[in-house]
Amino acid sequence: MKRVIERGPAPEPIGISVPRRDGIEKVTGAASFTTDLTLPGLAHARLLRSPYAHARIRSIDAEAARRHPGVIAVVTAADLPGVQLEYGHAVADHPLIATGKVRFAGEVVVGVVAEDAATADEALRLIEVDYDPLPYATTVEEALAPGAPVLHEKAGRQGAHRGFEEDITRDHPNVCSTFRQAWGEIEDAFTGAHLVLEGTWHYPMCYAFAMEPYTSVAEWKDGELTVWSSAQHPYMVRDDLAHVFHLPLSAVRVIVPYVGGGYGSKSYTKIEPLTAALALKAGRPVRLALNVDDAILTTRGDGATVQLRSAFDRDGRLLGRQATVRLDSGAYAENSPLVGRKAANRLGGPYRIPALEVTCQVVYTNTAPASSFRGFGAPQVVFAAESQMDEAAEALGLDPLEVRRRNLVERGERPWPKVRGLDAKIADDLALAAAELDWSTPPAPGVGRAVCVSASDAGSEPVTTATLRVHPDGSVTVLCGSTEIGQGSATALAQIAAGEMGVPLEKVRLVQSDTAAVTYDRSTGASRTTTLMGLAIRNAARDVKAQLLEWARESWAGEDAPEPVLEHAGIRVGDRLAGWGEVVRAWFAGDYGEAIGRGYLRKAGETAEMPPFWEVGCVGVEVRVDESTGEIHVEKLVTIGDVGCAVNPQLAEAQDVGAAIMGLGMAMREELIYEDGNLVNGNLYDYRVPRFTDLPELRTVLVERGDGVGVYGAKGGGEGALNPVASAIANAVRRATGARLREAPFTPERVWEALRERDAANGR
Amino acid sequence: MRETVEISLQVNERAQSLRIEPRETLADVLRDRLGLTGTKVSCDAQVCGACTVLVDGRTVSACTFLAVDADGGAVRTVEGLARDGVLTPLQQAFIDEAAFQCGFCTPGMLMAATALLEENPHPTEDEVKEGLDGNLCRCTGYAPIVAAVLRAAETGR
Amino acid sequence: MIPRFAHRRPRSLADAFAAFDAAGGDCAWYAGGTELLAVMKMGFAQFGTLIDLKSVPELGGISADADGALRIGATVTHREIERSPHVLRHLPGLAALEREVANIRVRNTGTLGGNLAFAEPHSDPATFLLACDARVELAGPAGAREMAIDELIVGPLTTSREADELLVAIRVPAPAAGEGRAYAKLAFFERPAASVGVRVRVADGAIADATVAVGSLTDLPIVLPAAGAALAGLPAEPAALDAGLGAAIAVLGEIDAIPDHNGSADYKRHLAGILLGRAVTQAVEEARAHA
Repeated sequence: MKRVIERGPAPEPIGISVPRRDGIEKVTGAASFTTDLTLPGLAHARLLRSPYAHARIRSIDAEAARRHPGVIAVVTAADLPGVQLEYGHAVADHPLIATGKVRFAGEVVVGVVAEDAATADEALRLIEVDYDPLPYATTVEEALAPGAPVLHEKAGRQGAHRGFEEDITRDHPNVCSTFRQAWGEIEDAFTGAHLVLEGTWHYPMCYAFAMEPYTSVAEWKDGELTVWSSAQHPYMVRDDLAHVFHLPLSAVRVIVPYVGGGYGSKSYTKIEPLTAALALKAGRPVRLALNVDDAILTTRGDGATVQLRSAFDRDGRLLGRQATVRLDSGAYAENSPLVGRKAANRLGGPYRIPALEVTCQVVYTNTAPASSFRGFGAPQVVFAAESQMDEAAEALGLDPLEVRRRNLVERGERPWPKVRGLDAKIADDLALAAAELDWSTPPAPGVGRAVCVSASDAGSEPVTTATLRVHPDGSVTVLCGSTEIGQGSATALAQIAAGEMGVPLEKVRLVQSDTAAVTYDRSTGASRTTTLMGLAIRNAARDVKAQLLEWARESWAGEDAPEPVLEHAGIRVGDRLAGWGEVVRAWFAGDYGEAIGRGYLRKAGETAEMPPFWEVGCVGVEVRVDESTGEIHVEKLVTIGDVGCAVNPQLAEAQDVGAAIMGLGMAMREELIYEDGNLVNGNLYDYRVPRFTDLPELRTVLVERGDGVGVYGAKGGGEGALNPVASAIANAVRRATGARLREAPFTPERVWEALRERDAANGR
Repeated sequence: MRETVEISLQVNERAQSLRIEPRETLADVLRDRLGLTGTKVSCDAQVCGACTVLVDGRTVSACTFLAVDADGGAVRTVEGLARDGVLTPLQQAFIDEAAFQCGFCTPGMLMAATALLEENPHPTEDEVKEGLDGNLCRCTGYAPIVAAVLRAAETGR
Repeated sequence: MIPRFAHRRPRSLADAFAAFDAAGGDCAWYAGGTELLAVMKMGFAQFGTLIDLKSVPELGGISADADGALRIGATVTHREIERSPHVLRHLPGLAALEREVANIRVRNTGTLGGNLAFAEPHSDPATFLLACDARVELAGPAGAREMAIDELIVGPLTTSREADELLVAIRVPAPAAGEGRAYAKLAFFERPAASVGVRVRVADGAIADATVAVGSLTDLPIVLPAAGAALAGLPAEPAALDAGLGAAIAVLGEIDAIPDHNGSADYKRHLAGILLGRAVTQAVEEARAHA
């Protein structure tokens, strides 16, 4: 790993690659995940799923199941009269269990609770459901065709959630929402342009494959609900549970232990309401643990078609970009409306574009629901947009990096009206990537290279809080709602607290993700945690230090007493430095008490402008293609992590590597395939994720220019390195072979077909 | 009356005697009966390797290995690696190289790497990648795991 | 979850048949269980009793006779075959193939006998052993019999084994003078997209006769006599060999391939042609070393 540091100093241990705090637990098997939890009296749930893509439920006969020895409860929608069944972050269209009809093969129809999972499984086989199959639409084309089967006769409650202010327009019954991002005069841009390029790109529906599948445990006690879940946003889940079960927020507690992978697929509410409903009917705590095949049916990533045309002048400067994006969102909206909005925002790229018009339709289909997934609309649209930049370079006889340089927005410049100015120097990042690939030296024959860039309006909403407690011995406990999903928040946030308080890291404890024990955080996602929770922790540190300064004044006031002065690690009183603990003890007049610092963050002050920060993607690849089979060999993969300030450089690099390899998976092999209404490859035999032997030679560079809004200029990472991967590989393949790939994943067969098309076009 | 069978086996060098149903997998027995929840179940189909444990020195997928087939055998899990709180060089190397993120694949990965190094104490980088190719990781992108195994090979397993 | 079952562990063939009988036929044999337990978990099969064959000594062991004919017990694991000195010496193509089966854990527990009895359409061992003219020994309460691979495997997941019969061993003939046997496959997902097994006998600097088997194109491995015939007469020397493969590749091009997730019919046929070249080259190299 290389580090380029062009920022001011930060107090240690910020900026140091300290070992992960969850390390010993995770390497000894002691780390506890939701799947490892057990409670006294725990019962086990299994689910019966619809075999039909679209059907009315005529009747459910579960009598034999109810009578099966060891069965505690059998639950359908009819058994939950007092419960608000529909939930959903953007549109509340998703019933926690099927109500009257099913909208995708795999939708949950019945839940069985039994003494053990094997018994529950036996009971499932005794249930008879009578379906009335309906016509279905498993592609966007089918769903938008005239006379297409309608999935949602009535629209779910819209703007269902906090902060989702969009006016969701439905111009077709199967369109969940439509977004338009536009500025300038788009038609003028194309009239008289020197070069107009047009194309259509396809990005697959994919599966995040978090290795810990969704698991929840729910327990009711005296009308209060506690849920443990492998979830990224405990507060969002809490809010949905309160809504579904008509409870005050104070009566719902959500606890998230270590999460075995999230990547966005565990954002917002998933199986928690169902688990809680099963526990309610069973009168026992219930565990619902899905396996991977079920998890694939729970949440996937949006597939996309992007029709893009761009206009350039003779020097390769963009005059305009116009695009129609269609997202295959599956049977329920989940978070896809937001993904659609972000896709529309992220298509243009980090370029100066005088006119832009992007329309993104989020479409319902009778397939498993799509929701948040790493990249969040960017992977889909950047594939098209960055591919076309290389096409422009080719058409104009220019170096692809030069075309980008001529168009890149500079740091401080707004990519579009009213947004925060870009907080990155992408041209410099581009140069770093080019250097890693030895761009100025022509590649060997049969080898192709490319560098692609992206900028995402990231960070979600800057709404969060943190609490920082200073104990009488000067040690510190930080309460924060962020979850540890593998990204290293348990370590990086502790480093920030230690750095801000001038306290050794061993004296900082971080308590996370229990809504009854810590204070509110909106979410762990959108690459926001280090930046925004970091600011909240900084604010809490400032708050507690202000209090401690006041306490010092009160405790040591006197005519000739020196004025206490706040310093980095304590309060200076004359010629001595009183540590924080001493100030606490003095104020409480004994070896007890604590100081409580509150850190609030909201859309105000330094975080008033949106987005809170821009997440940069800058990826380079070098590839070789075996033309006899179509196999692409990615030989080099370069990532530039432009993160402002790397709180823990090793962990920041780790995020870039993980994101880039995940992007490699989507670019090369990953796609979910539907046939006749059914998902035919919803298992790891036929859905192939990257393996050890797929690892290319990696070059990672961390760049820290202190230009982000976070502490010491930090910005988010973890998604940026995924976004440009598909376009980089497609562009490199074009340069190596002359074949243009516009459909991901680039399976050997698709590449082989593209090579044959090339040959046919060249008259061979 | 559901048929049960008695099995006796060593788990992390400790003798265990259990009465189980034949259908119980080694993962079921380790996790639910012996409280050794370090071994994880992910794909439940022998592909991902999260459930890797050693039975008589061979790596197996505990999710699809019947516990009755471990009768009379010696099973090693991640909980048996460290002795008296002292991490093995491999575990320490995983920490030093940040060879994990969410940690869910880690127990299986450690068992697979332990078996690899026991058989081949000085593997090349390619041998590490080939040897561990049957274990999936979704977080790390594999590079730090390779680095950790090579590092452990240097410092002595 | 694996559905409930009773478990028996016989210690001899006779015990095994007695256990089968006692279970009233509602039972299945298993050794590694890598295929059987997987389908039971998926809900595609259920049995009252599972009979573990790993303690039946007649079903284990690998031996070779002086000429190099191999006898591999049905309960020998893929990993044992991969490392067996007998196999490495007399049939290195099989050792190489076994090294690539599934993953290391499946190889540690899964058996060759189990693989052949399950008859998964993409089976690597079945395809290669077909090219090697291997034979399978079966035993049942009524007695023993033996047959060729393509008499055993008659359809996808379908064999001519009677329910109360079990596979005892796999026999591979000794290589004749100047014979080489090789296998090549391409897999982009868990299962191969195409695979080719080849046996060639080289005499006087040319291929005297050959057997070509193709796997993963149709729903069971198949021998293509016309492809084998088209190899006969080709010079056993790399550059010339390459140039002469056209006729054999054309035979592969006629296969009525079944498209699946791993490839379209056209693509599979194309890959088979490439793999034929690789397998023939390797087999010829081995043949020349055994002249």
